[in-house]
Amino acid sequence: MAETSLWNGSDKYLCDRELAQAFHMARVLGMPLLIEGEPGTGKTELPLQYAKDSDIDLFVYPVGSKSTVDQFVARFDHVKYLRDSQVEVLNAQRDEKGLSTKLSTGGRSTDQLKDYVMQGPAAKAYSTPNSVLLIDEIDKAPREFPNDLLYALSHRKFVMPESGDVIEVSEEDMPAIVITSNREQELPTAFKGRCIYHYISFPPPDTMRDIVRKHYPKADDEIVQQAIDVFYQLRQLGLERSPSTRELLNWLKYMQTFAKAETMERIKKLDGLGALIKTQDDVRRVQRNLMDDIKKPGGASRY
Amino acid sequence: MFESFPEVCRSYGVKADVRSLLLLQKAIDRQLIHTVGDIYSFFKGSLVKDPTDIGPYTQAFYEYFVGVDVGAGERLNDAIARAETFKDWLEDFVQADDRRRDMELDDLINQFLDEVHTTTYDIKRVLDGEDILKEDDPDMKDDDGGDRADAANAERLLDKAADYRFVDLEELRKRMEKVMEQQTRDHQGGSHWVGTGGVSPYGHGGAAMGGIRVGGTGGGRMAREVMGDPQYYPVDIDAQINDDNIDATLATLKGVIEETNQRYLDIPLTVKEGVAQGGLFLPVELDKTEDKLQVILLIDNGGYSMDYYIRAVQALFKKMKTRYQHDLETYYFHNTIYKYVYEDERRTRKVPIERILSKDPNYRVFVIGDAAMAPYELHEGSIIAWGRISEKFKKSVWLNPVSEKHWHITWTTTMLRKIFKMYTMTPRGIEKAILGMNKKKR
Repeated sequence: MAETSLWNGSDKYLCDRELAQAFHMARVLGMPLLIEGEPGTGKTELPLQYAKDSDIDLFVYPVGSKSTVDQFVARFDHVKYLRDSQVEVLNAQRDEKGLSTKLSTGGRSTDQLKDYVMQGPAAKAYSTPNSVLLIDEIDKAPREFPNDLLYALSHRKFVMPESGDVIEVSEEDMPAIVITSNREQELPTAFKGRCIYHYISFPPPDTMRDIVRKHYPKADDEIVQQAIDVFYQLRQLGLERSPSTRELLNWLKYMQTFAKAETMERIKKLDGLGALIKTQDDVRRVQRNLMDDIKKPGGASRY
Repeated sequence: MFESFPEVCRSYGVKADVRSLLLLQKAIDRQLIHTVGDIYSFFKGSLVKDPTDIGPYTQAFYEYFVGVDVGAGERLNDAIARAETFKDWLEDFVQADDRRRDMELDDLINQFLDEVHTTTYDIKRVLDGEDILKEDDPDMKDDDGGDRADAANAERLLDKAADYRFVDLEELRKRMEKVMEQQTRDHQGGSHWVGTGGVSPYGHGGAAMGGIRVGGTGGGRMAREVMGDPQYYPVDIDAQINDDNIDATLATLKGVIEETNQRYLDIPLTVKEGVAQGGLFLPVELDKTEDKLQVILLIDNGGYSMDYYIRAVQALFKKMKTRYQHDLETYYFHNTIYKYVYEDERRTRKVPIERILSKDPNYRVFVIGDAAMAPYELHEGSIIAWGRISEKFKKSVWLNPVSEKHWHITWTTTMLRKIFKMYTMTPRGIEKAILGMNKKKR
């Protein structure tokens, strides 16, 4: 029986109520959960932390511009198959010539077609009852991929290429499927229709403080507050690439290596800006707009 | 139950239909739904497919379930404050304890929302709607002309129609299936067929939800949280391109990138490698890369009126260029083209349009301009020049920063629309333009 209880996050992951509910709903109804939101808001972290916290097997499929459903489900490795069959011919020839050394096929046998079936994360997840399957950044995929994927996911059954083996999963044992997207590309309506949708909005400063707490329980309150102030101020500037949660956490990680007084000073001077701002244009814009402002007393708390 | 909710959603532009209700039934069967808040979350997860849907969906939900009608641009709090449902509730709430009179309005609204969202709902309740449903014959044949008579009926039935929402969903689903079997065409109006605008129990019921039992098990402050105020005013995709919606536009522009994930067998390389390996031929497969994207921008930068848009467009395509590698060529013109366009913004370096016309026909051409000028400027020579461009490059569109409702006023705009497909320069317009382009296979 698949695990369908409500999961509210762990000590490492702050899962807001709505997200928890959507995730729960998806698992109970056996539908994939599609999470969209700005980069660095913890979309990918959800299934990772859930699997870790609940001690469940996790299978990840990172989507790229060359992704195909074959890679996702399973594909037949024709190259290896051809190689091994040629190796067999070579070995037979060597035998004739009385040579004892043989070329290896790595334990595979050309009689066993399933030796050449490369199982993708989907096939693996479906053969592991009660697991988590993460399809990461589906918006990077070629246009036809989501629809192909939809077809694959709507049946609880995969037929392996060439070998004809069937991998089937009962509705109870369906893996929890989480799909993430950065919205770089619109997904087909039909695809979205089959998913439970959740949009992670950017957390307000209060929630951000809790998130930071989860990651650095020992961090000094004042430092965290100061950093968050500056962080939200930077986000107000309308940069080409606004800093996200991930960047704030990295910045704080770096800041923690100093003594408190020094850290406060460094935050004010926007030390280690490179952890937050990622393009040259943005760096220039920050320097123009903020550098003087933050040095002024009380400037940082104004946003 | 809730049969007319999809209709209310659609009136706010949120896609919903019978399937949404069937899924709700499934969720009820699996014990997911206990409170009104659960219904909110459930429909939010299954109907909302884009952050811009959240606002309209919330409006639809509050109108249907709570009887709160949120006007355009109105804050939810204000809408609640003037809603009857809230006033009724407030009366009872204040009567129960006199000290509550001193509470702030915002606190009262929060309290109200909390109670609404934690209200338990007797899902299995079957009420008066049954009678009307009994009278309706699900096996009725779908003949032409039935709707008009039905429409007359509709007025008489309107009072009763409001009660359909209490009919058991399972019962309704069975009937709906029967009706669907008989139904052969689209229906608008009428009281029997599944469709829009009528009072049929299967489609729009004219129902206004009033019977909600406010006040319940209490506990849990979730109403405020689920409202998600910051999302309530989403990016306006019908506005001109600006800094706020430029990312939304960029997302639609990704559609112009042609990608492929095919692999092909490289035979010459396979043979070469095979010979080198002493006759052991291993197939060499390579990725087929076809992500070349070629764009020509023709920008009208004459006159002050275009200044603002030019910057926005340039920012847009510059962002696009940094994100996706491709060929981007920009040329400028003033009002219209004759024999030349210009390479630089100050229009000093002439480029004959023949040079543009000699390019690969797979280039996508975006003409950006207001298309408004003195009629004599757009003489025959100019029209021929535009025609040649549109003829040569099948994937060409005109993006016009002027609002669509003014297009018919200028004669030159009307003329140019005969040559180019014209779209507004908004994220939505650009999305449409790209979809239109993609349909055209060279």
